[in-house]
Amino acid sequence: MIEFRLDGHSKVATYMQLVQQVKQALRTGLLEPDDQLPRVRDVAESLAINPNTVLKAYRQLEIEGLAEGRPGVGTFVRRSLAGPSLGSQAALRRELLAWLGRAAAAGLDQEDVVALIETTMRAAFQEDIA
Amino acid sequence: MSTALEANGLGKRYGRHWALRDCSLALPTSRIAALVGPNGAGKSTLLHLAVGLLRPDAGSVRVLGGIPGSDRELLSRIGFVAQDAPLYTDFTGAELITMGGKLNRRWDAELARERLGQLGIPLDRRVGKLSGGQKAQVALTLALAKRPDLLLLDEPVAGIDPLARREFLQALMGSVAEHGTTVLLSSHLLGDLERVCDYLILLQTGHLQVLGPVDDLLAAHKVLVGPRRDAVRVAGAATVVRASHTDKQSTLLVRTNGEIHDPAWTVHDVSLEDLVLAYLADPSVGALPGPARLGTDRGVQAP
Amino acid sequence: MWLTWRQHRRQALLVVAGLAVLAAFLLLTGRSMHRASVDTGLARCLGAMRSTVDYRLSDPAVGLPDCNEPAERFNAEYSGYLTPAILLVFLPLLAGLFLGAPLVAREVQQGTHRLVWTQGVTRRRWALVKFGLVVGAILTLSVAYALLVTWWVTPLALANAARFEYLAFDLQGGAPAGYTLFAVALGILAGTLWRKVLPAMAVTLVAFVGARLAVALARPHFLPPLERRFPVAANTFPNPMLSDWILERNAYDSTGRAIAPGGDIFCALPCPGYDPGSYNVHVYQPAERFWLFQSIEAGVFVVLAALLLLLAVRRVRRIS
Repeated sequence: MIEFRLDGHSKVATYMQLVQQVKQALRTGLLEPDDQLPRVRDVAESLAINPNTVLKAYRQLEIEGLAEGRPGVGTFVRRSLAGPSLGSQAALRRELLAWLGRAAAAGLDQEDVVALIETTMRAAFQEDIA
Repeated sequence: MSTALEANGLGKRYGRHWALRDCSLALPTSRIAALVGPNGAGKSTLLHLAVGLLRPDAGSVRVLGGIPGSDRELLSRIGFVAQDAPLYTDFTGAELITMGGKLNRRWDAELARERLGQLGIPLDRRVGKLSGGQKAQVALTLALAKRPDLLLLDEPVAGIDPLARREFLQALMGSVAEHGTTVLLSSHLLGDLERVCDYLILLQTGHLQVLGPVDDLLAAHKVLVGPRRDAVRVAGAATVVRASHTDKQSTLLVRTNGEIHDPAWTVHDVSLEDLVLAYLADPSVGALPGPARLGTDRGVQAP
Repeated sequence: MWLTWRQHRRQALLVVAGLAVLAAFLLLTGRSMHRASVDTGLARCLGAMRSTVDYRLSDPAVGLPDCNEPAERFNAEYSGYLTPAILLVFLPLLAGLFLGAPLVAREVQQGTHRLVWTQGVTRRRWALVKFGLVVGAILTLSVAYALLVTWWVTPLALANAARFEYLAFDLQGGAPAGYTLFAVALGILAGTLWRKVLPAMAVTLVAFVGARLAVALARPHFLPPLERRFPVAANTFPNPMLSDWILERNAYDSTGRAIAPGGDIFCALPCPGYDPGSYNVHVYQPAERFWLFQSIEAGVFVVLAALLLLLAVRRVRRIS
């Protein structure tokens, strides 16, 4: 069973952090389908957070189809994350490394790079929604 | 019933001074509500009115559908821990548990003993000899052993070291998760409150200033950063809660009633702590729900 | 009920221990006093006095005993006990101050009322049980104590014909129990009104002393006093050992002029120094009325105590 941790300084809402940690665990193989997610009560107690927050996170996972609640038993992983195959990921990674090299050559440091990526991502996703 | 605590124009007076005035709210069940405000704002007064230790001088208060005070049934469904966790200091833990059993109709002595055991608090030591954090835990245990539907806590972790505070909150969250209790706790420690509370009640000088679910409040407030502007009317912002200016830049905390489209402003989310601090700094602004929600016919607040 | 016992356990044990020590002292000295009373013939004499037909008068020449002589022998040894006996008068006040006043006041002062009044019992029930148990226990103890002290003081009082007098009266019979009850009730009520232990104790002190003084001053008038006149020069006089409570004494000559204001004169025949028509006047309460007066005094304080307790219960429900 995985264990959650909270980043108190993060801008991300608590329940989103939990969702992200589950997804991360799915990606790295720590969680597999039919594994049980920690009980709401235990998470609330160990992290000292509102149980409703945990419920919200689990509900979000259910909406995304990643988890399902079995009444009286608990919440279980439903499917693994459909990620792109390793092969296509390797290609993307190579392209990214090349781009990072060009950014460094243009004089951007790490923070500039992150800011650029964030603002571009935000704009791109908003265009998708709009 | 869906309202754990309901107040209508509630007021309490000491001599000529109103400690609490015109307080109307409806706290839904299964919430963990934070009661925040400066010292003397009326937090303890509100809690004492809710538990029947005080009688209202104006308006009314109903708890779990009943009137607190002389109703034994009601009292045994409410758990209360007063400020500084008062206990009979020369009683041992075991004796306090016995006392609870004799005074309350619904009492889970087993739960109390188990909890204290888990916390490592010896049952045969006089509670006067325990540390502050342990006393708070004992007081909370006694309140929880009533299996209450509503839990009222008056600054339960004030003056307690951070580790003990964390343990207290953990215990509280675990218990709430298991039993679905509604909780109303007053505290100055805003950092703790953000992760624990999903409903906010902010009092200043005896009046309600902010009221509502935390999620809604956080969604309705934003921090705007932009070039210096003195005339602060921003499209989409209903009220400016706090404004600070440097010679080149203005930072505003606003309550929105729509989208902020003005490109001059960078929009940020706001944390609960910053929200509360901003309202505490300016008692003239408020964020109260409109009249329709409470069924009273008071005027519309703030915007 | 369990709570009241557990909460006041230590107090109760201290009080019982203290009273036990006092009781031991009283028993020991009392026994020796009673034995002395017998030995000096005082007891026999007093008994004989009662059984004579005309005991109201004493005339040594005729052989009616006034028990003066055995009394003096008794007093020679035990009159010293009169002074410490006075201290016992303070016991009811102490009970009121230390047992009554803190009962509610300490609870509020320490904040534990916020714990105990938010459990599943009403304040009324809490108050009734607590007051009832505490007062009941104190009542039992004080009645037992009163009996003991009465037994102890009686030979002393009779030897000095002082039974009906102030202070001695206050120590005997049901009066101390009444005072104690009143003091405790007063303390409890003060605690509900002032909600801090020290002010409540101060108020209890003042009010108790005031009430006792008021009733004590009224005591001579519980029943209309009797008056008797008897000649200054005679061989028979009202028996001074009877323990009548003489409120006023005066002596007048035959013209009605006061010759010994505030005092009386007994002058055995023949009596040359005084006008033969001189007479004494006593305004007094006869000794037979002793127990009646005791009942009245105790009754007054018991009724007051009941009223105060009722008020206290009502006050508890309104404390903020």
